[in-house]
Amino acid sequence: MKMIAALSVALAAAATLFYAGVYDISATDQHLAPTYWLLDTGMKRSVRQRAAAITVPDLAQPGQVQRGVALYAQHCVQCHGAPGVAPEPFALGMTPTPANLAHTAREWPAAEIFWVVKEGIKMTGMPAWRYRMSEEDLWAVVAFVRELPKLSPEQYRSVKLTRQSASEPTIGSAAHAGRGKRAIHQYACVTCHQIPGIVGANAPVGPPLHAVGTRAFIAGVLPNTTENMVRWIRHPQAVNPRSAMPDLGVNERDAQDIAAYLSTLK
Amino acid sequence: MRLICIAWCLALAACKAEQPALAGDAERGRLLLRQFGCGACHRIPGVADAQGNVGPPLDGVAKRVYLGGMLPNSPDAMVRWIRDPRRVDPQTAMPALGVSEEHARDMAAYLHTLK
Repeated sequence: MKMIAALSVALAAAATLFYAGVYDISATDQHLAPTYWLLDTGMKRSVRQRAAAITVPDLAQPGQVQRGVALYAQHCVQCHGAPGVAPEPFALGMTPTPANLAHTAREWPAAEIFWVVKEGIKMTGMPAWRYRMSEEDLWAVVAFVRELPKLSPEQYRSVKLTRQSASEPTIGSAAHAGRGKRAIHQYACVTCHQIPGIVGANAPVGPPLHAVGTRAFIAGVLPNTTENMVRWIRHPQAVNPRSAMPDLGVNERDAQDIAAYLSTLK
Repeated sequence: MRLICIAWCLALAACKAEQPALAGDAERGRLLLRQFGCGACHRIPGVADAQGNVGPPLDGVAKRVYLGGMLPNSPDAMVRWIRDPRRVDPQTAMPALGVSEEHARDMAAYLHTLK
């Protein structure tokens, strides 16, 4: 009896909080690490279970990867980016952030990539392409995505899409690490870098940012100063056009704040 | 556009013709990484005194998508980078250390155990 009473009270409390809108649904407030783990693991287990029955056809057919490149440039690069190419601004702040597919291609079997492209993922920006692409085209996209990790930015450049930076907000106060920690989520940084204190994919596309505050060189080329960090974050392609890190349209305010946060990583 | 795609596909085919698996000795590589002073710049798990923070840490480098932020990662790419980083990226602070092909393969074999 006591158990039932306690459970009812707990449920009533939960329902009240739920209806009162206490939970922060914004895309600027990030998940707690356990929440992220639950959602991410649940998604992966669900995909695995459903992709198990898929037979992967030959992905080396002539012209298939070429067809995949064209489809990727048309439908995928806007959210997922490409080597040296940033996603469009609308995708950078999405929660969950669209994955860097060069990392995905190294970790996921073809059947599971195919399933996600075809069926999409609930509660994310990933649509189900089955209603907009033939099976043949879906496999062509998968064939190209599998090649993606082997491409340098130069090799991808034939289909590169460029983007203008967003307009600059005026800079009032000094750089702020706490603001920088939030800003990091708006530029998809964690889809390529492992960053202490940031929850998300933490994919190993670029180098980890542990102790980057005291690292001697930024990206192996620039002496680590605040000014250089801001410069790198804002215009990596101008510093080093061979880098896979794209220009993400980070404004001066956000770059300074992000640099301030990164400088706390010692 | 078509020419670019054809040329690019040919380049990819050439890549597939490269030697596939790694032929190095990982344990020897682990010792060589120390001998060549790699730890002065890089944190490398399992290598004595490798706590440098000049370049990026090499934890999990086997899974990293790009080496030097630009070279798609593979055992052969790693050998290439180790032996002549400035050929890949003229701007990099990482110097060429006179590592032979054989030693580079050993180092790459060890680094490919870091997942």
